[in-house]
Amino acid sequence: MAAVYKALSKSSGAKADKDTDSSNGAVERKNKQRVLILSSRGVTYRHRHLLNDLAAMLPHGRKDAKFDSKSKLYQLNELAELYNCNNVLFFEARKGKDLYMWFSKVPNGPTVKFYAQNLHTMEELHFTGNCLKGSRPILSFDGAFETEPYLRVIKEIFLQIFGVPQGARKSKPFIDHVMGFSVADGKIWVRNYEIREVEKVKGEGEDENKEDGGDKNKGRKGKGGGGGGGGDKDTDISLVEIGPRFVLTPIVIQEGSFGGPIIYENKRFISPNKVRAELRRAKAGRHVARMEQQRDKLARRRNLGLEGGAKKDSSGLDTRELFA
Amino acid sequence: MAKKGAAQSLKAGSKPKSQSTGGKADKQKTDRRKSNEPAVEKAIDGKEEEWEDADSDENDKQPAPQPISGKETKKRKAVGEELSEEDSDSEDSEDDEEEQGGVDLAAIDDSESESELDSDGEPEKKDDEDDEEEIDVEELSAEDEEDEEQIAAGTRVRQTINNKEGLLTALRRFALDTNPKTVPFAFHQSIVSSKKTEDSIPSIDDDLQRELAFLNQSLEAARQGRALLRKEGVPFTRPTDYFAETVRSDETMQKVKAKLVEVATAKKAAAEARKQRDLKKFGKQVQVQKQQERAKQKRETLEKINQLKRKRQEGGSSALGATEADDIFDVAVDNELASHANKAGHNSKKRSAGDHGQPNAKRQKKNAKYGFGGKKRFAKSGDAVSSGDLSGFSVRRMKKGGKAPRLGKSRRKAMAAKK
Repeated sequence: MAAVYKALSKSSGAKADKDTDSSNGAVERKNKQRVLILSSRGVTYRHRHLLNDLAAMLPHGRKDAKFDSKSKLYQLNELAELYNCNNVLFFEARKGKDLYMWFSKVPNGPTVKFYAQNLHTMEELHFTGNCLKGSRPILSFDGAFETEPYLRVIKEIFLQIFGVPQGARKSKPFIDHVMGFSVADGKIWVRNYEIREVEKVKGEGEDENKEDGGDKNKGRKGKGGGGGGGGDKDTDISLVEIGPRFVLTPIVIQEGSFGGPIIYENKRFISPNKVRAELRRAKAGRHVARMEQQRDKLARRRNLGLEGGAKKDSSGLDTRELFA
Repeated sequence: MAKKGAAQSLKAGSKPKSQSTGGKADKQKTDRRKSNEPAVEKAIDGKEEEWEDADSDENDKQPAPQPISGKETKKRKAVGEELSEEDSDSEDSEDDEEEQGGVDLAAIDDSESESELDSDGEPEKKDDEDDEEEIDVEELSAEDEEDEEQIAAGTRVRQTINNKEGLLTALRRFALDTNPKTVPFAFHQSIVSSKKTEDSIPSIDDDLQRELAFLNQSLEAARQGRALLRKEGVPFTRPTDYFAETVRSDETMQKVKAKLVEVATAKKAAAEARKQRDLKKFGKQVQVQKQQERAKQKRETLEKINQLKRKRQEGGSSALGATEADDIFDVAVDNELASHANKAGHNSKKRSAGDHGQPNAKRQKKNAKYGFGGKKRFAKSGDAVSSGDLSGFSVRRMKKGGKAPRLGKSRRKAMAAKK
């Protein structure tokens, strides 16, 4: 009897738990993400700075020393497990110039490999924004991410790696930046913006703040003090880029983590080596054509006896010979 | 090609099924051809549909290479990545034919989930395409032959793999629940915009437009996010008295600020300089105008004098012996002259500070005789202008050493005799 009662009460209790779960899911639901961030050997300073920037933005990240292999990437799985990470963000540099970025969910995949181009780090001075270290970003995804399955996978992986989980250990309680992911030209463009709350043009009672609105930073601070919690309804949002910015070309998606069957391959991706070779070949082609032309010209001139060295064979019937 | 044969023999087992579905795929293919545009990809339910879709993708490629990304190809050309574009396109279509067998072998080996569908789809595809392949091979250009060489040399070749079923399974396995009805926004903080950003980018090369499109996408997300977070009572704005470490160090921000200031001052200075230049230009105009005015005035005065003189002469001829009248006219002329001189003098005084007029004849004579105006030494030595003057230089003469020098008389004679 007691057992039956226990079972019954347990089931009902579980149900109640579920209910609470759905009502205040924020408490119950766990989004535990930890990201192992590391690079291969042979990264340039730019790649390294980008890595540092990303590490600074991810309070749930764990930066590790350079990984010493480019072929045995499956070893990263063990490494991630060692650090209790369930995501890996791996920078693979090749030839000291090309950067490939691997995003992987560790125990059982998937893995996405990108080719990264147009890197701009936070050090660059044309980005004027700034934000708290470890504040949770709002992730803004392009509508195109919902169209294709492979883009959906990429979106989910970005969501888990770049999204700072709620209540992460080193995260800050305010939200002051947006990360934008857009799809254009078959590539994924990543941007990071600061959210600045500025007074609307028709602000009432905050005109003294508007006076120093020219210095936006100051204006924001002044407003924050005045608004506090609910009073800042009438602020408008403007975005200022913080950096880093980069462009990712998806190359391959693997089912497993650094292994397993390939479930997506981008045929539009052309290896940078190929591009360079093509360029070189085009250049060489020009040179070859020119040399050939020159050779032809020389031969022609020689045949006509115009070139200095070899004179036209003087036959015995030449007028000069005959009437010398 | 040997590989293909192997694949076919391997898949002989699954032939009956494939043939039964082959007709369907065939029909679909012709449909696609008619419409000549890629089918809108719908959500895939079963495996059969999945491979059919992939199959038709393959088939589309045969008549017109890459109709799927035709638009994108154009775009990429604009970007300037076309260098190996043609190459890769033709290569792709080629390689799909060449390597299908090999791919499927691999797929069978390592993927359990897709192996069956691929093997199912494969043989009938071969059947369909066999006749097409002949035509295509004939149409191949020299470039393609080169590609074949590349393939022979063992270059890694890319092909389409887009296993939608596999992708969706993978997605289901690791996706977080972000259903807005059951999960609060603060849990994931991600917003998918309603429209495609690419549609609002006229040209991918236009940096400004492109960045603006990205910014607008993020801005919209930020607005939505703030509204949602406020509704859930999550703090959003940082209070003024909350200080914490920022992503970019103060040092960097200082530099940023310094750069901003520098840029602003540079802009200001440039504007100032432009203004000065314009003023100068305008000043010159004014000067020219003034000179013209002066010249005109002078001309008018002289004309007036001439007129007066003529009048006087006429008057003299008409009224002889009218000395008093002469005097009167003289006075008038004098007045005119005086007034003119006054004006001229006024001007000349101003001018006298700058340039002197011609010195008198005696002085000129003396100057010519004894010399005047700086030293005469080094007058003929070279200076920057003379050394910069290359008008007498000829590349041809420099290279060939000019025409042959004229020989001596005896030698010239000897040459003439030879001829």
